Amino acid sequence: MTFSDDRPTMIEFKDVHKYYGDYHALRGINGTIKAGEFFSLLGPSGCGKTTLLRTIAGFEDISSGVIMIDGKDMANVAANVRPTNMVFQSYAIFPHMSVEENVGFGLRKDPRSKEEKAKAVAEALEMVGLKGYGKRAAHALSGGQRQRVALARALILKPKVLLLDEPLSALDKKMREHMQVELIKLQRQVGITFILVTHDQEEALVMSDRIAVMFEGEIAQLADPETLYRRPATRKVADFIGTMNFIPAEILTEAGDKVEVNAKGLGHVALDIAQAPEKTGESPVVGLRPETLTLLYDDQKAPERETDGVIDEVIYFGDMTYYDVYLGGTDVEVRLSMRNVPGRPVLDVGTKVRVAWSPSALVLFR
Amino acid sequence: MKAPYLRAFTLFYLLFLYSPILLLPIFAFNDGRVVAFPLQGFTTAWFAEMFADQNLRIAAKNSLVIALSVATLSTVLGIFAARASVRYRFPGKAPLMGLIMLPLVLPEMIVAMALLVVLLSMGIPLSLFTVIVGQVLICTPFAVAILTSAFQSLDRSLEEAALDLGETPWSTFRLIVLPLVMPGIMASFLICFTISFDEFIIANFLGSGQPILSVYIFGQFRFPAKVPSMLALGTVLVCFSIILLGFAEYMRRRGIAKAGGKDSGGFL
Repeated sequence: MTFSDDRPTMIEFKDVHKYYGDYHALRGINGTIKAGEFFSLLGPSGCGKTTLLRTIAGFEDISSGVIMIDGKDMANVAANVRPTNMVFQSYAIFPHMSVEENVGFGLRKDPRSKEEKAKAVAEALEMVGLKGYGKRAAHALSGGQRQRVALARALILKPKVLLLDEPLSALDKKMREHMQVELIKLQRQVGITFILVTHDQEEALVMSDRIAVMFEGEIAQLADPETLYRRPATRKVADFIGTMNFIPAEILTEAGDKVEVNAKGLGHVALDIAQAPEKTGESPVVGLRPETLTLLYDDQKAPERETDGVIDEVIYFGDMTYYDVYLGGTDVEVRLSMRNVPGRPVLDVGTKVRVAWSPSALVLFR
Repeated sequence: MKAPYLRAFTLFYLLFLYSPILLLPIFAFNDGRVVAFPLQGFTTAWFAEMFADQNLRIAAKNSLVIALSVATLSTVLGIFAARASVRYRFPGKAPLMGLIMLPLVLPEMIVAMALLVVLLSMGIPLSLFTVIVGQVLICTPFAVAILTSAFQSLDRSLEEAALDLGETPWSTFRLIVLPLVMPGIMASFLICFTISFDEFIIANFLGSGQPILSVYIFGQFRFPAKVPSMLALGTVLVCFSIILLGFAEYMRRRGIAKAGGKDSGGFL
């Protein structure tokens, strides 16, 4: 999960704003996307992620700010001459053309000979696993095949940036997971910068080198998946990515790089300043991911801290069991997850348990 | 159609609709000047008389020129209007589209009279051209209605994809939009052609007595001796219409099959 920072910048946003009439769709976007990076724009619907993608492609003008692609200001560059290609949510396969006509569409003005173009089309089809499908009618393809045709059609032009607008949302779960892996492989193979728009946090975590989480036209956090998951910048980001328990807390002292808090049900904890992202003015809570909490069995000892609790709810998932547990005689309920390994029985509601946790897994939002 | 009276009603309705038309060919081949039963034997004399009629030929040629011009102009204007109404948002769009569609419900007689007054006061001589202008006004709403639905069913991202792949807006229109709305364009053209071809009021008001088929037929019915040859003409026109409609439907189905869509509706 490391992405080298020394790679050259491919795309740069400088204070990008977009208005639709009175509606402020993009509210000051800043950030850079590196060359060769698999970058995701993640957020709920209406957060502006698709709008941002479309401003890169040139389908939307920006109201103010600058978008640079490969060092060039895109202000007066039309969509058809930008070094980007897009895979559309609907795939936008031309229905009146065959597969190879679709894939070769972008080569119309290419000076190469007919044979060379045909070869390029065949190679592109082979790359996406559709060898021999060239003569088929585009409308006779399945969803997954359309997706591949759209990919081949965009990649054949060797763009500097490939834009993917929720490309997997129309596929069923199995196919989606399969295509996620294929897309990652493909990206590594071609080395092109991929920018993926998705509302699926799992998909973003699985596929991306870095992710920009967007809410209401702003980037809430731009980080690699692990940082995003372990050190979310705001409570909203934490809530959007995965599951997080929020426990009301009181800030006791804040000195140097230490913050000491009293979290309800957990007691006094000393946190590193790195665990406390910038203040947003909310009432203080500490966040804990379910998998950082562990139930202790019999005479097991907690490696760091432990708290008493009572099981309130048991949710059995086969490989995992989720427990909702009241902490230390309070009304604070946390969810924790346990792997169902052999010799570890699923506990009943009402069981008194001990919960192990680690102060370093906490995040403070204030 | 479970209830028997519904079946009877449908049958009666269809009979009422089509039996008069069926009488056309029967009397067109009937060997007698009086249009009445009993039939008096088979003849093709009326067809021969019809084809020999110089004025009728001129009228048919004029009508064809008018109908082709009207269908072309209305469809082109319809493409512009439908495209604008589906793709763009602009101030006053709703009232503007409403005004374009208004001639659909406006009494044609009023439109024809108003046009006549305006043309005469402007000193523009009445001709086939003025008929074309008047009929374009009547036909354009039909073209807009048909083409709007054609443009609406076109996925916008197809155009964006073509732009994205390096095409200019114009070549995108030519390579993607036009082929995909072609069935709609054909349908619009054929419907406008048909409407124009048998349009009477504007042809009569603005035609300045030039022989135009609909006006000519109306005139010939004053002479009983001419009626059988007019029935022969009617027969030809019905056949012509059926061929046209069949062709339109064939094009429509081919368009759908090509685009891989699901067939819904249509004429036949």
